[in-house]
Amino acid sequence: MAERTVVFEIKRQASPDAPSVWERFELPWRPGMNVISAMMEIAGNPVTCEGHCTTPVAYDSNCLEEICGSCAMRINGKARMACSSLVDNLEQPIRVEPLSKFPLVRDLQVDRSVLFENLKKVKAWVPIDGTYDLGSGPRLTPQEQEANYPLSNCISCTCCMEVCPQFNVETGFVGAATIAQVKLFNNHPTGKVFKEERLRALSGDGGIQECGYAQNCVQACPKQLPLTSAISDVGREVVVQKVKDWLKS
Amino acid sequence: MATAQPTSAPQLQRGVEPLRAAEGSSFLWRKLHSLLGILPLGAFLLEHLLSNFEALKGPLAYGQQVYFLNHLPLVRVLEWVFIFLPLLYHAVYGVSIWLRGKSNVVYYPWAGNWMYTLQRYTGLIAFAYLIQHLWRERFTGVMLPENPYYAFHKVQMELANPWMLAIYVVAMIAICWHFSYGVWLFAAKWGITPGVTARRRFGYVCIALGLLLAVAGLASIYAFVGPLYPNAPVPNL
Repeated sequence: MAERTVVFEIKRQASPDAPSVWERFELPWRPGMNVISAMMEIAGNPVTCEGHCTTPVAYDSNCLEEICGSCAMRINGKARMACSSLVDNLEQPIRVEPLSKFPLVRDLQVDRSVLFENLKKVKAWVPIDGTYDLGSGPRLTPQEQEANYPLSNCISCTCCMEVCPQFNVETGFVGAATIAQVKLFNNHPTGKVFKEERLRALSGDGGIQECGYAQNCVQACPKQLPLTSAISDVGREVVVQKVKDWLKS
Repeated sequence: MATAQPTSAPQLQRGVEPLRAAEGSSFLWRKLHSLLGILPLGAFLLEHLLSNFEALKGPLAYGQQVYFLNHLPLVRVLEWVFIFLPLLYHAVYGVSIWLRGKSNVVYYPWAGNWMYTLQRYTGLIAFAYLIQHLWRERFTGVMLPENPYYAFHKVQMELANPWMLAIYVVAMIAICWHFSYGVWLFAAKWGITPGVTARRRFGYVCIALGLLLAVAGLASIYAFVGPLYPNAPVPNL
């Protein structure tokens, strides 16, 4: 009996301005293998199906347990985490491409720094830095912890932005992840000191109003964040903030 | 598949720019677009479909309804401020929203994504239909504001053309779809239904609303083309 194998088709690009090419690899099947472990296997012997020697595939990954958010890529056309994409659950040949909405670095590596920039724009942090010890913060009730925990699960993988029809160069939409973090930090008893600034930030060009509510974000999110509910809640608060600002101006 | 075969020309990809925090006025214009779709445009759609329903009672009742509407105080001001200008804004801004979105329903064929795409195409159908509807029924031919009792006859002549009848049926369904999903979207995006269960329940309400409006609208089309009032005469009033 012939050895069971797995076939991968990987979109390669040597540099941001190089032409892209598809390369095909055939690997021996192993129990429990995922897309990242397959790529490691390719790196050990980077030879295509046609016997052509090539370079190991460049990709971002770190934790290999869907918690660091590094290895988002398009697998069989859909954005998802490569580490939790089990080969046994995928149709073959497995086609792997880089995320399409971020500047390409090399092969499957893309520059997702726009999410970091957006998180900075909305001050997605709890301000505790100062020149003296501020002491312990206010206590969170278990009910508040229950409500906020799902939002704190965001791993900044950018899948929600990749699948969003409104996240593109025309709109410059901020994306669901940042909006969910605004809700998280506005709910925090110390973080809410920036609440009004965060809401005003989200009313800027490319802000929450660009959401078309296609709800792809919540479908694609590997951590099941309640993204559409967050957009709904923050959307209401931004409107209320804008009306208040207008009436008090 | 040959190895090392270029699939696309070299190009440097521009990334999406970060949020312009608290800058610009697109929030106001986008929210205005959203609000106008409900008030006054949605309210006017309900009024229009209710008035059309009078056609089932016959040419005289329909003419009386047209007479009533055209004798509201400041009716021409009401018409421009609450119908034509909001409609023009909603339509033109809506086309720009459509142009700036990049539908990906081919890759992600999920229900919400289909609705997103359909909301844009039903809006385009409505825009194209309303241009001809206003031109042919409001601004040319027999002037109904001055001759309200010609209304049934005018519409019946229009719908006698089977192509025009087909356009009216398609547009009726598209507009009722666009409005009822628009109500659902409004509740979701303005934070009236933040909960998943609330959105699902309100979805059923909006499906019922859309079906009701479409059936009522199609019934009034039937009043003009069915056997109820064939060759309705112009009343001598």
